[in-house]
Amino acid sequence: MTEEQKASELLIDEDTYLTSGVHIGTQQKSADMKKFIFKVRSDGLYVLDIKKTDERLRTAAQMISRFKPEEVLVVSARQYGQRPVRQFSNLIGCHSFPGRFVPGTLTNPALDVYIEPKILIVTDPAADQQALKEAINSRIPIIGLCDANNETKYVDLAIPVNNKGRRSLAVAYWLLAREVLKLRGDITGDDDFKAEIKDFEATL
Amino acid sequence: MPDPISRCTSCGIPLSREHDVMFICPNCNNVQLGRCGNCRNQSAIYICPGCGFEGP
Repeated sequence: MTEEQKASELLIDEDTYLTSGVHIGTQQKSADMKKFIFKVRSDGLYVLDIKKTDERLRTAAQMISRFKPEEVLVVSARQYGQRPVRQFSNLIGCHSFPGRFVPGTLTNPALDVYIEPKILIVTDPAADQQALKEAINSRIPIIGLCDANNETKYVDLAIPVNNKGRRSLAVAYWLLAREVLKLRGDITGDDDFKAEIKDFEATL
Repeated sequence: MPDPISRCTSCGIPLSREHDVMFICPNCNNVQLGRCGNCRNQSAIYICPGCGFEGP
């Protein structure tokens, strides 16, 4: 298979992936994420395998598209993940929790914010611990955007991606939104998707 | 809708405890997978018997 054919298999062109830093990992790696690591750079930075990121984004989109919009919850305690999460939920129509996750949201029916989602998407399993804990207790599957240093404890589907970058998170959620809408049949092709990556980027 | 699974796909123990989860294979959408709390805690690999998808 030629390089052009390989590149055409990706959801977006390789350059966009690379310039947005989706593949940039951390200087530490976890055993759980070892299989998603492509190489280690001379400065000690672990580089994620873009092909595996691409594959997992497709798989995650398939999984999300099987649930009704109101059954999906997406959270991000990380600053750079909050705008992407908001945009994603606006397009998909799902619940979102950008910022602080109110304890009891998934476990305390007495709260006004109480919801019963069927699937949870976390931007960083290490930062979104409260949401993760409550999802574990509620016995719902968890999709996690995991960087090279993340553990995949209790994560049922890991998406290897740089979850610390502003543009990287924007690209990841933009792609997820586009693929979910395509799979649901809300849009017919990539050209029908009017949102741009910059709409998903957190402001500086 | 696939039949509900009663055992952990990774280790085979019956699913009846806290922290267990059941979901349809994210890849093939045909097979229901189960993961026990222990395997989830240890990030144990699960393999879909239908399509061979390896998670997490």
